[in-house]
Amino acid sequence: MRSLYSDRRTWLHAVPAGIKLLVIATLGTAFFMVDRPAWLAAGAGAVALAFATLGRSVRPALRLVVSITVASALVAGFHVAAGQPEVGAVSVLRLMSASLLGVMLAVTTRFDELLDVFETLLRPFERLGFSTGRLALGLGLMLRFTEHFFVQWRRMDDAHRARTGRPGGMALLAPLTVRMLLTARRVADALAARLGG
Amino acid sequence: MTTAAPSRSLSLVALFAALLAVFGLIPKIDLPFGVPITIQTLGVMLAGCLLAPRQAFQALSLFMVAVALGLPLLSGGRGGLGVFVAPSGGFLVGMLFSAVATSWVMRMLPGEGPRRLALRAFVAAVIGGIGVEYAFGIAGLVVLAKLSVWQATVASLAFVPGDLIKCVLCAMVVHTVARSVPDWRFGSRTAT
Repeated sequence: MRSLYSDRRTWLHAVPAGIKLLVIATLGTAFFMVDRPAWLAAGAGAVALAFATLGRSVRPALRLVVSITVASALVAGFHVAAGQPEVGAVSVLRLMSASLLGVMLAVTTRFDELLDVFETLLRPFERLGFSTGRLALGLGLMLRFTEHFFVQWRRMDDAHRARTGRPGGMALLAPLTVRMLLTARRVADALAARLGG
Repeated sequence: MTTAAPSRSLSLVALFAALLAVFGLIPKIDLPFGVPITIQTLGVMLAGCLLAPRQAFQALSLFMVAVALGLPLLSGGRGGLGVFVAPSGGFLVGMLFSAVATSWVMRMLPGEGPRRLALRAFVAAVIGGIGVEYAFGIAGLVVLAKLSVWQATVASLAFVPGDLIKCVLCAMVVHTVARSVPDWRFGSRTAT
């Protein structure tokens, strides 16, 4: 799994994750509340400039940026076809700036930094019975087994190719799902033995 | 969590979230007549069919948290907070409710045995995986991309045939699961 995070350090890497999230949330909301095209264009320009200062660090996220651009272009196309180019411009500026902000966060912030912020935000809910420890355990299990199941899928695909000369495709979905369910039971037993219940 | 065995449920929830992520990593699959489809939304339908509503909600939430924190787990290597405000953001948020709705319908419908279960799964996937998912997706296009409801619906309709095929695939997987794991409790309060 290729991460969106870039090791190539930039000025934005040094900013604490909590502050970045706060700024993104504020700016993102602002982008959706402002309606004046001129203001939006200025905001989008500023975001694009900030994005450009990250230089080559954004490389891991380029595919993501391309897919967002294509989606926005489709939206713009729809609006132009409907004879309202101004609405199109406004929504594309909005979508692009808000998405680019999110991409900037993903590129410059390590997963564990964001997880820390997230756990801090959720801490007040612990009184309601929500356990941040279980969330961390759940995320850990999920990431560990994403790799595990992906390797399993590749092996099954290789075996299928060796037997038939064709990729496994959808024939592998059911066996992969069954393996997941059986593994989940085994992991559950292991967890129950260690954590109780 | 109110289940009798919370760590059992946690393992199932986390591993299902992992399966969703793997479905995003698997390259597009070619259908027999040559049309490629991505299968991540098939994972959402399966979560609904195989898990209890609460577990389906938790599995999808866990997956969304990982995506929001920047992991590139969505098909095409997408991730981060940005994807939630992209034009298709509604479809993303809709996955959460789509899985829960699928699970509810699955639980409501009668019938045991692999064939009946597959039929239940197909109906549940059509209602939850297409009906609910598209309602959220279209709402997202209206709010985020300022399309009219009519435009958003037309733009989305192109994907319905592919999703109908996924409903069939989902039913087929459920059929196999029902035969290979006969003691799986489909649609119960807490699947284990």
